[in-house]
Amino acid sequence: MKLYQYIIKRLILMIFVLFGVSIIIFYLCRGFPTSLPPWTAYISPNMKPAQIEAMKIAHGFDKPLPIQYFYWLRDVLKGNWGLTGIWANCMPANKVFFRHFPYTVELAVTAAILAMIIGVPLGIISALKSNKLPDHISRIISLVGYSTPAYWFGFMLQLVFFYYFYLWGLPYLPSGGATGMEGIVPKLTGMPVLDGILAGNLEYTWDAICHLILPAFSLSFISLGFLARMVRASMLEILRQDYITLARSKGLKERVVIYRHALKNALIPVVTLAGIFFAGLLGGSAITEFVFSWPGVGQQALKAISEDDSNFILIYTLVCAFIVVTANLAVDILYVFLDPRIKY
Amino acid sequence: METRNVEVKSEWQARLADLKYTLHLMRKNPLVLSGSLIALFFIALSLLANYIVDPNLAYPAGYPGKRYPFERSYMWNNPIINWGPGITIYKGPEFFYLGTDGWGRDLLKMLILSIPVDMTNAAIITITLAVFGSLIGALSGYVGGKIDELIMRITDIFFAFPGLLLAMVFASMFGRTLETLRLALLLVGWPPYTRLMRGQLLSEKEKPYVEALRALGMGHIRTLFRHIIPNAIYPILVQATMDFGGVILTFSALMFLGFSPSQALPELGNLAADGYTHIFNAPWLMIFPGLTILLMSLAFNLLGDGLRDVLDPRLRR
Repeated sequence: MKLYQYIIKRLILMIFVLFGVSIIIFYLCRGFPTSLPPWTAYISPNMKPAQIEAMKIAHGFDKPLPIQYFYWLRDVLKGNWGLTGIWANCMPANKVFFRHFPYTVELAVTAAILAMIIGVPLGIISALKSNKLPDHISRIISLVGYSTPAYWFGFMLQLVFFYYFYLWGLPYLPSGGATGMEGIVPKLTGMPVLDGILAGNLEYTWDAICHLILPAFSLSFISLGFLARMVRASMLEILRQDYITLARSKGLKERVVIYRHALKNALIPVVTLAGIFFAGLLGGSAITEFVFSWPGVGQQALKAISEDDSNFILIYTLVCAFIVVTANLAVDILYVFLDPRIKY
Repeated sequence: METRNVEVKSEWQARLADLKYTLHLMRKNPLVLSGSLIALFFIALSLLANYIVDPNLAYPAGYPGKRYPFERSYMWNNPIINWGPGITIYKGPEFFYLGTDGWGRDLLKMLILSIPVDMTNAAIITITLAVFGSLIGALSGYVGGKIDELIMRITDIFFAFPGLLLAMVFASMFGRTLETLRLALLLVGWPPYTRLMRGQLLSEKEKPYVEALRALGMGHIRTLFRHIIPNAIYPILVQATMDFGGVILTFSALMFLGFSPSQALPELGNLAADGYTHIFNAPWLMIFPGLTILLMSLAFNLLGDGLRDVLDPRLRR
């Protein structure tokens, strides 16, 4: 199979997956009695009763559930995701989503970079000193990261670096929010740090970075274990290969063997899994955002669930699923370029 | 007759020797050793909890009112730790090792009572997940063809979901009971087992012994359950052990986010949820339940991580 045939096949599968995701979540959100009937998700407070009736017919709420799905699909393909509830001022769901999305991207990207900076060396040390003390220490660090409750770790960071540092008179970090100086610089990208840099406002950028440190570290700590384990496993696998024995028997220095021969190959599965890993961070950041009142989409999704707001849940789930499947596809294509032995 | 008896015995002896060797490897691996010790401690505690602490202490007499006097909520009187200026000291007759929670209950006693709740739920969920997930995977891998394709596409769909969100939507739609939460976690957690078992089965069913068994006239069901699955079960065991820790985390996270059937239920995430609005004036209410979850989850992760090494045939001999 040629690469482009493979890509086309994968794209078709991707559409199938997105359909499946949307059907399941649509059925869960709309098929059961909630505190508000689902058609309220399309009305704004100043509509007249006749308008509301017309709206119900226009969106298919007089029809059975399976047909309602197709009405919803038609609306979505036209770009109408419906309105949110009062918790977001009845704004269109896609507007609310894309206003908060850059915050989540900023958080997830920073967390992914942090996790790589810490996780990859941990994994390498672990594999090189396999079953010795450094291995045990680094495995315990990554396993602790793996088994830490995300919400608990976030609050502990807040407690120490905000509250106790403040009490002890040390320079403390802010406890929540994305920036303390809202509205000073124009919102070009929506990401506070990037906006600060683009506007050339050092004070704002520094403030945004201070706000970012704790949530990003919290999010990366709970996921770096995953990364470190992956690096360790793949490194151990590579170190058992014949060409490593060959390199050693040629008399190459251990450093050269490790960094030139082993690490390059060991990182292939890691790089390719990084996409999925990043997608996971994006979807899994909801709890961290909630703990640090970070104004990202995850926190909004939690609010939407507690308010039974089906429109926002639908757009959040679909975008998350889209990112996951796109990342998977991108990674599989990347694999071919990184590892010439693989063909489709 | 006799030869047959000898055969059976030797098979058992081989299994026993294998098990002994595994236990020996486990003893030599400090991670597995510490993991299993902590896990055993928690299992013992969850069996004995209701004898150590009176379970009625969790539910106030006039529930949902308060059983204990209001002056007892968010109090601390253990002189070992000084939390700083924000907290209130309890001056009554009782002594609390870990302070009190918002209901005025002794936090240490509530922690002991909540361990069996978390452990039993995690056990129920993990065992059901492992059994059903791997059965679906075994079916998919063994039958192959259209059924395999269909099952794999369904797992694709579930892998694309943000898991916690799906569980939350499910729980919020079907009411906040323990059964709903279990079902929600089952809904989210089965695909990894299915994929793992399918992968195992695909490589296992190509091996010569399967062909030999089929040639001897053994039925599909018997070949699958008696011979293939026992050979493919180790990775599932490892996955289930590690997943146990993950399930504890997700379960308590759902509780923490307010999907608890009752605020008074002694459950670790629930206790922490009570604490987070009082994080600065009653930090113990967040710290100790979280630490307990961390320890429980870590124990099973250590065990699973070590088991992977111990059971890995390539590293074994």
